[in-house]
Amino acid sequence: MTSSIIRMSKGPILENRIVIDDIVAGYGPVQVLRGVSVHVEPGETVVLLGSNGNGKSTLINAIMGIVRPTAGSIILERDGQRIDLIGKAPEEIVGLGIAMVPEGRRLFPALTVEENLMLGAYRKDARAKITENLEFCLEAFPALRERYKQIAGNMSGGEQQMIAFARALMSAPSILLIDEPSVGLAPILVNRMIAKIAELKTHRNLTILMAEQNFNQAIKIADRGYIIVHGEIAFEGRNTEELKNNELIKQYYLGV
Amino acid sequence: MFSGELFFNAIVSGLLIGGFYAAVALGLSITFGCLEIVNIAHPTFVIFGSYVTYILNVNFGLDPILAGLVFVPAFFVLGMFLYRFYYASFERAGQESLNGLAFFFGLMFTVEVLLILVYGVDYRLVSAPYIGQTWHLGYIDFPLRQTVPFVVGTAMTIGVYLFLSKTFLGRAIKAVSQDRLALQLMGADPIRVKQYAMGIAIATAAVAGSLLIILGPVEPSQGRLYIGRVFAMVVLGGMGSVSGTLIAALLIGVIESFVATFYGPSWAPAVSFGLLFITLALRPQGMFGRA
Repeated sequence: MTSSIIRMSKGPILENRIVIDDIVAGYGPVQVLRGVSVHVEPGETVVLLGSNGNGKSTLINAIMGIVRPTAGSIILERDGQRIDLIGKAPEEIVGLGIAMVPEGRRLFPALTVEENLMLGAYRKDARAKITENLEFCLEAFPALRERYKQIAGNMSGGEQQMIAFARALMSAPSILLIDEPSVGLAPILVNRMIAKIAELKTHRNLTILMAEQNFNQAIKIADRGYIIVHGEIAFEGRNTEELKNNELIKQYYLGV
Repeated sequence: MFSGELFFNAIVSGLLIGGFYAAVALGLSITFGCLEIVNIAHPTFVIFGSYVTYILNVNFGLDPILAGLVFVPAFFVLGMFLYRFYYASFERAGQESLNGLAFFFGLMFTVEVLLILVYGVDYRLVSAPYIGQTWHLGYIDFPLRQTVPFVVGTAMTIGVYLFLSKTFLGRAIKAVSQDRLALQLMGADPIRVKQYAMGIAIATAAVAGSLLIILGPVEPSQGRLYIGRVFAMVVLGGMGSVSGTLIAALLIGVIESFVATFYGPSWAPAVSFGLLFITLALRPQGMFGRA
């Protein structure tokens, strides 16, 4: 086991990678992940594919410290430091520059758009960049500027998904975990959301790990991906071509 | 019976008392409204604050308001410890609803009995140059005994309102019971957030205690008079809305004052509950609550 070293970096963050090695995790007696190894390299967009109930969300929750793995390791490499994420609380992991857009958005429904976004910038490193990040988010999602003082819970699903993204970006992350961004959105909105993720990624120099059921959408922005079946990595595609040509994908998604 | 003089004096007197009510309800608006902790011992901390003010005033001649400011840090820390204890004993195990309620009920009686044992059941009062003075504006009276608590209570409520809307910690306090995990994903530790919130709530209760003993003499079990009233104000104002609580407090103050002036003081306590019944029937989210 690597000892956990946390160093506050003052300068620009050079390299961030997540290396997940052979983790076993679940909820109580139910084992969901059975020895999963995944790595995300700096600047990559990696997708986790697979239908519901195969362990995509559990994997993302394990990285965030929401689910605690019973075996294996999750290491964040940050500017040459190796930080063990297992055993850390979600708020500590957010403090290391990893943000999550949770499934179902999980906004603070009784608060305004402004208050939701400002809460995104709660962590210390984010507060210094608040003006710059807010301007970026409102530029990226102009609808939020118009509805800045409105109650988040009263807004449409698409707008709420925008708030969830903007809120995650307000924490000035270097790594963004996205759990099922297409759930509950009309197809046209899913299209826009995926295009927006690609745009945000290039502007913010983000490293992204995204869980998504919608293969055709996910593949548009993926550099590479994994297919999870029954809590195990069934296939690792080193590029989108490999994913498209995979038998599992053909079987599950493309109906071939 | 009805006259302009009586009418306007009833309004002013009601507003003045309402400002004090806001100070009492403010802390509960945080604990009950934002944290969803049913702290029925809240008014007990008000009385506790009154007695500390009394001690500082009688022994050191400290002005009651100044005394209130002096002990704010102590009550803030007390509130933080209270939350830690509550969390470790009840909330962590998910037993807050019944056992937690019993805990605050017990706490209320314990503090009350302790005060009776030490100071007896006699009324205690403080002295300050402004108590007993009255300003006049035309035929409207501004007794300073009520005006000072109004000014301090309203200012404190507005201060906390601004704190909750403009600071990172304040926004986290508003968010914590809406979605605990989402708050963690913002990088905030919910336990610490609640701990600070409870500290602020108890500190404001103690300051309200200083105001209470300026308004009139205080005895240990007086807090019970306020329990129903302050819960009514928090619910009327819309759970967790400090601005709503302030308006509800002023409104109840004014209506109580009217009822007391034109129908007799014995009807005044019925006001808050009457208003609560009507509001819950017509607008369950409170008069100013967000649906």
